[in-house]
Amino acid sequence: MTEDELFAQVRAAFHALDPVPGEVLAAGRSALGLRVPGAGVAGLVRDRARRPGGGGLRGGGTALRALTFAAPGRVVEADVSGSGRYREIAGRIVPGVPALVRVRLLGTAPGELTDRADEAGQFAFPRVPEGLFSLYFQLPDGTSIVTSWIRL
Amino acid sequence: MALEDRDDGADELVVRARGGDGAAWARLVERYSGLLWSVARSYGLNESDAGDVVQTTWLRLVERIDGLAEPAATGRWLAVTARRESLRVARSRGRELPGALADTVRRSADGRTADGEACGPERVFLARERLGQVAAALEALPHRCRHLLRLCAVAPSHAALAAALGIPVGSVGPTRARCLDTLARRLTR
Repeated sequence: MTEDELFAQVRAAFHALDPVPGEVLAAGRSALGLRVPGAGVAGLVRDRARRPGGGGLRGGGTALRALTFAAPGRVVEADVSGSGRYREIAGRIVPGVPALVRVRLLGTAPGELTDRADEAGQFAFPRVPEGLFSLYFQLPDGTSIVTSWIRL
Repeated sequence: MALEDRDDGADELVVRARGGDGAAWARLVERYSGLLWSVARSYGLNESDAGDVVQTTWLRLVERIDGLAEPAATGRWLAVTARRESLRVARSRGRELPGALADTVRRSADGRTADGEACGPERVFLARERLGQVAAALEALPHRCRHLLRLCAVAPSHAALAAALGIPVGSVGPTRARCLDTLARRLTR
């Protein structure tokens, strides 16, 4: 047997033993539809665990993670608290602008949630289903920013 | 080799997908998801976490697709991203696998340049019985060998394979040959 034949058999064996689930392939195919043309991407630059009550944007509570995303000229901070099926997100965009803010969700409860940031750029989503999430900001100057996808 | 041509194909598919060609994107997803899935599984991730890694990897590519000045090396980029995401998830789960496979390969690499190894593309009809034998032989291999052969088998190109392993292409050869030899001997017993 040639090496190529043996590898073809290895490939077939793994395909039988541990195939890529159909829903994983389907999710990959649909990912292109989540593109926001023209939006700047704010990449994750910090993901810190915080102790409950340990001085996040909101004092007290159960802040578990403090996320920081950065795009050219713009920073997004988001504190994520709670556990179980839902999270609370409290954040701000810096410099502060009254942006339209959308939570984009994938996973068990795909969909969108919308809020408008105040003049200081602060926004809040009290009940966000766990899963992959990304924030979308439509800024007053007409530009937009999305944060890199991350699992809550 | 033909494998390298196929990797160039990935770059072309990305350019077409950027232009809005959904079919090109679907072909890219179908061509590479097996490798991304295998990378995640080699880190000991369960199906749910491995699915997350694959999905996150595709989303990362979508995020940067408009800004890709040079779409070359898309296959390599996908493999590196899947490895990084797998490592992150594995760490958050408290697993201690990271890098184990690459370390094994490094230890046994002797610096020779590997020649045309990796991953023949042709399809071979497999009788069910034979498939069972191969599967049993693979499961009996040390898990590092098993995962190495798996990545070799599913990687669409040398560059993507090296990126999935986190080592230079040339270092793969000796370990790969040893693992393949062990597998072949088990099959002829």
